[in-house]
Amino acid sequence: MRIQNYRSLLGYSTAAAFAFAAMPALAVKPGPSDPIDVQLIAEHTELVPGQAQQFGLLLHHQPHWHTYWINPGDSGLPTKVEWILPPGYKADEIEWPTPKRFVVGGLYNFGYDGETLLPVSITPPPDAAVGSTVHIALVTKWLVCREECIPGKASLVIDLPVVRVAAKPDPRWTAQFSEARLEQPQATAWKGSVRDAGDRFAITLTGPGLPPAAAQLDALAAQRKLFDNKPPTIRRDGDAIVIETGKSEYFTTAPSELDLLLTTSSANGARGWRARIPFAADATAPAR
Amino acid sequence: MRAVPFIAAVALALATSLPALAKPTVGQPAPDFGVADSSGHTQTLSAYKGKTVVLEWNNPECPFVRKHYGSGNMQKLQASALAQGAIWLTVNSGAAGKQGHLDASSAKAYVAKVGGKESAYLLDADGTVGHLYDAKTTPQMAVIDAQGVLRYLGGIDSIASTDEADIGKATPYVAQALAELAAGKPVSVPTSEPYGCSVKYGS
Repeated sequence: MRIQNYRSLLGYSTAAAFAFAAMPALAVKPGPSDPIDVQLIAEHTELVPGQAQQFGLLLHHQPHWHTYWINPGDSGLPTKVEWILPPGYKADEIEWPTPKRFVVGGLYNFGYDGETLLPVSITPPPDAAVGSTVHIALVTKWLVCREECIPGKASLVIDLPVVRVAAKPDPRWTAQFSEARLEQPQATAWKGSVRDAGDRFAITLTGPGLPPAAAQLDALAAQRKLFDNKPPTIRRDGDAIVIETGKSEYFTTAPSELDLLLTTSSANGARGWRARIPFAADATAPAR
Repeated sequence: MRAVPFIAAVALALATSLPALAKPTVGQPAPDFGVADSSGHTQTLSAYKGKTVVLEWNNPECPFVRKHYGSGNMQKLQASALAQGAIWLTVNSGAAGKQGHLDASSAKAYVAKVGGKESAYLLDADGTVGHLYDAKTTPQMAVIDAQGVLRYLGGIDSIASTDEADIGKATPYVAQALAELAAGKPVSVPTSEPYGCSVKYGS
């Protein structure tokens, strides 16, 4: 059987995939005490040959529980997905939403709470057989933490028909995919530099659309082993934003570019901007 | 009785880590400490000068710790370190009331249950030793050479997961560091980012 059946450590199991083959979506329905509920959803009810479509892992966290961003911070693990697709189908990487900062016992983590969609784009091959029904399946592993942590695993599947043109949106998930787009960090054309200042990095950003000084900003690195994860100091200096952040004690060498997220959180959730900033040449020397 | 090791620990922390609050740094002297173990003895790092010392941060209920004890990987690593003449100190920096906190008798029961081979199990409920080494996760590891110099700080191996199946595929940083030190070689990977649960410090 291509789609395996796992029992997660949460004490529930996904049913064997064949039992759900006729269903459009398979949701893991945990009991009320389980910290997270995970669903595989699709933006459209059909697939079109050669056209990318958005899928996503919809995470419903119980209050006080969270899962992790690609850089989880001081502890934790990013959520992982492993797709099981028909030949010729291609899944991109998770388009990580702007994360929130969590503080647990003086340590810092980056991730998600409440309801969060981790979107993934899947493209059928140009010669996908119109009229056929395909299984889009994945195995996902996550670590969900409050103060304590529980790893979980589920296999999820969606069956969708392949049509020639114009896949129909699935009205059940329109709001989730719209919100997910808002939660994506916006690409920017900001310029800047990262300077290694011994035990910290000094980052300067300039360019169009920098957020105003008043905004409650945070700055995170998508790469691990760069920042020390403590809240940085961020100030406006004329047209520039200047960020000072502690260096990770596990830092060894700098990559060519910093994958930086500037984030702000409001009642509407986390919003972010993404900038790729080169390290100054002398920042590639070992820290110590 | 608890007050005695606590005061000793604070005194040692003040004495040894000033120019202080400095981060533990590979290549520099490892900070000394004094803390009670599960048998009621005060364990200090300085007492083990002349021997390699491994520090392992532990929370029996953390799934990442369970990965390495459930598979027997941690016990094997402990036994092999001891066979090389090293000292292995397991440290529990979980505060009272937090997940994984152990008192002396429950620590003894835990070590017996999992077949732990460590030299001692340190009860660091106030987090003194954890903060001295800036321990963030369980497990997190430190390797200190016979001269008392910190030679490795970071994760137990290279694959951050809770899956036992990953242990064989990972680069075993601690085993590697111990082997290199025993052979008189420099430690090729002196730091790595530790992975696991947050250390459950008190507020």
